[in-house]
Amino acid sequence: MPLPLAFNAELFIQLLVNGVTLGSLYALIALGYSMVYGILKLLNFAHGDVYMIGAFVGYGVLTLLGGPLSPNIAIAPLIVLMFLAAMVTSGLLGVVIERFAYRPLRDAPRIAPLISALGVSFFLQNSALLLFGSQFRSYDSFVLGSENPEFFEPGPLTDPVFVIRNVNVQLIQVIVLATTVGLMVALTLLVAKTQIGKAMRATSYDREAAAMMGINTDRVIASTFFIGSVLAGAAGVMFGLLFSQVFHFMGFLAGLKGFTAAVVGGIGSIPGAMLGGLLVGLAESFAAGYLGGRWSDLTVFGILIFVLLVRPSGLLGTRAIHKV
Amino acid sequence: MRKGLIPILSALTALTALAVATGTAGGSTTAAQSPSATDRALITCGRTRTIGIAAPITGPAASIGSQQGRWARYWVTRYNRSHRRTKFRAVVGDTQLPDTAQAIQVAERLASNSQVLGVVGPAGSQEVQVSTAPFKNGRLGFVSGSATRTSLTTDGTRRGFFFRVVPNDDQQGPRVANYIRGTLRHTRVAIVDAQNSYSTGLSDTVQRLLRARGVNVQRESVNEADTTDFSSLAARIPANTQSVYIPWQLAPKAQLFGQALRSQGKRAVLFGSDGLFDPDNFKIPGSYVSFFPINLRSPIIAAYRRGPGRGKSELFGLPSYQAADVVGRAIDRACANGTATRAEVRRFINQTNITQRQSLLGFRIRFVQRRRGVLGPGDMATPANFGIYRINNRGVYLRVS
Repeated sequence: MPLPLAFNAELFIQLLVNGVTLGSLYALIALGYSMVYGILKLLNFAHGDVYMIGAFVGYGVLTLLGGPLSPNIAIAPLIVLMFLAAMVTSGLLGVVIERFAYRPLRDAPRIAPLISALGVSFFLQNSALLLFGSQFRSYDSFVLGSENPEFFEPGPLTDPVFVIRNVNVQLIQVIVLATTVGLMVALTLLVAKTQIGKAMRATSYDREAAAMMGINTDRVIASTFFIGSVLAGAAGVMFGLLFSQVFHFMGFLAGLKGFTAAVVGGIGSIPGAMLGGLLVGLAESFAAGYLGGRWSDLTVFGILIFVLLVRPSGLLGTRAIHKV
Repeated sequence: MRKGLIPILSALTALTALAVATGTAGGSTTAAQSPSATDRALITCGRTRTIGIAAPITGPAASIGSQQGRWARYWVTRYNRSHRRTKFRAVVGDTQLPDTAQAIQVAERLASNSQVLGVVGPAGSQEVQVSTAPFKNGRLGFVSGSATRTSLTTDGTRRGFFFRVVPNDDQQGPRVANYIRGTLRHTRVAIVDAQNSYSTGLSDTVQRLLRARGVNVQRESVNEADTTDFSSLAARIPANTQSVYIPWQLAPKAQLFGQALRSQGKRAVLFGSDGLFDPDNFKIPGSYVSFFPINLRSPIIAAYRRGPGRGKSELFGLPSYQAADVVGRAIDRACANGTATRAEVRRFINQTNITQRQSLLGFRIRFVQRRRGVLGPGDMATPANFGIYRINNRGVYLRVS
């Protein structure tokens, strides 16, 4: 394994850009895990598969509107439509999952909803396999909007927005980063400033007390699932635009990495999920770039173990005080 | 409490008794019999014969396994259409590559189904390794359409049971190395293996041969199934690298890697193995792929494209059609007198002789009987040279050597 001994600024910047972009995706997925855990203390293992469904919905819209090689409308509204459709569908799917797979088990032992979550994950994965087949579906974002897609001429999404020491930062990378930041700011404002945000926080602190204060906790929990799944749907489309290919199995590892990001950042904490996502993305990118592909997952999950040992509540998590 | 236990215990006892009775009376399973008894167990062929198919239909490698399954079943469909009196029935097992535990279970299931007379698959070399014991215990012959690790036939442990209709790594590797060094005259090459036995075997062979001819080889590794972001791997490839050899099996992932290289301004030529011969998914212009010299204009491929392929050729799965043909012909011959044993089917597989004209792979199919150089019993005796295909600007595969 050849290690680059001399510092190579280009390589470093390239890996940094890759890591931040990838980290943005993980952060969005981690937010869903964090929100649901914060409110229900449930690890929603089906979340990665909601993200996969979002990616497929985005692909469906792209195909309906002419496909990547000859879209019927301009690229910008096309991408907006893809995002909207994926976010709404994923959000609704999240609500349905909560209603039928988790709500009936709310007062059951904690293992029951966990098993239910795993079941939903496999159900979604195999439903996607049956519905969409096993083959990879391609957003073809590399040539999306290109004048000569059949000659593999790159489209506008790969145009460099700016260049740092010979490293191109592409339009799609900027879109992903900007959308992630925008969604996170919106989520933070929603939780901090709105009525539903207040209700979410109250339910998270003490569900019974919140119910006694007149909060409809069922609706709050459903809203939390909706919002978390909306973010997963957005991440799914971003994934398709960034990496082109979507397939039925894509949610498994992405979900695992998103979960890792949530735990590293401090599960239940929104800024923690953002930080965790970026850390995981950067760790994966730098490990793959400097140490080689075999090391990337080892490094990511090594960090998870290290953080759990040193700071079990995560980097920005707070220790729960239990009344004894 | 005790009262409640009595009906449960009674039910369990009844179930156990029923299972024992079924197992002993019917003789429908072969796993319980000794291997030699299984070898001689006579099966009444009847009108419908059963062929087993072991492929990764779900899981990370579903995209290749489902191709293989479709191609193998396509052989069954075509056979059933063209034969009035005899029919085939396919029993499919999902091996979920890379989960080898599933491959073992599938092999055990097929081996214990006494109606199954021969098997197409499994797909991966590692699956062949772990499935050998169950198939041998069940005395079942199996023909793979993609397992290429050389030692599968040369180590002698599967003699008479395992066959393959694809050339092995030591036949494909030298062809690729010769083309990269001799024809393209490249001296700076990167090799990226995909961390599975198919890929590492081929990578090792090509690396050894290129280094022996003075080529500067940089070795990299990536888990193609789990990786979605190839940009960090692309960043590790030096800008002056002339070609990158990627013996992978997931063409869409190779496409992503190629795009990552291009978007970083790197012009290295990509060189894929047979696993990437997929004009629908791998189409980076200027890349090369090694593959069997198949007849791309064959009406069978065109018909597949119109039928089960739903517009796609899915050529990686094509050898599984040929494997089904080998197994099916052997079963037909064994069933000529109305009954057959698995031993007979294995013997007839071993005696396969499919002419070049009848073969979809572009060369005659016969199996080697004893070790000969890099070939072992179960390898094809007529190792046709791998074709080298170049992908043009429109994504069309053109044979260049």
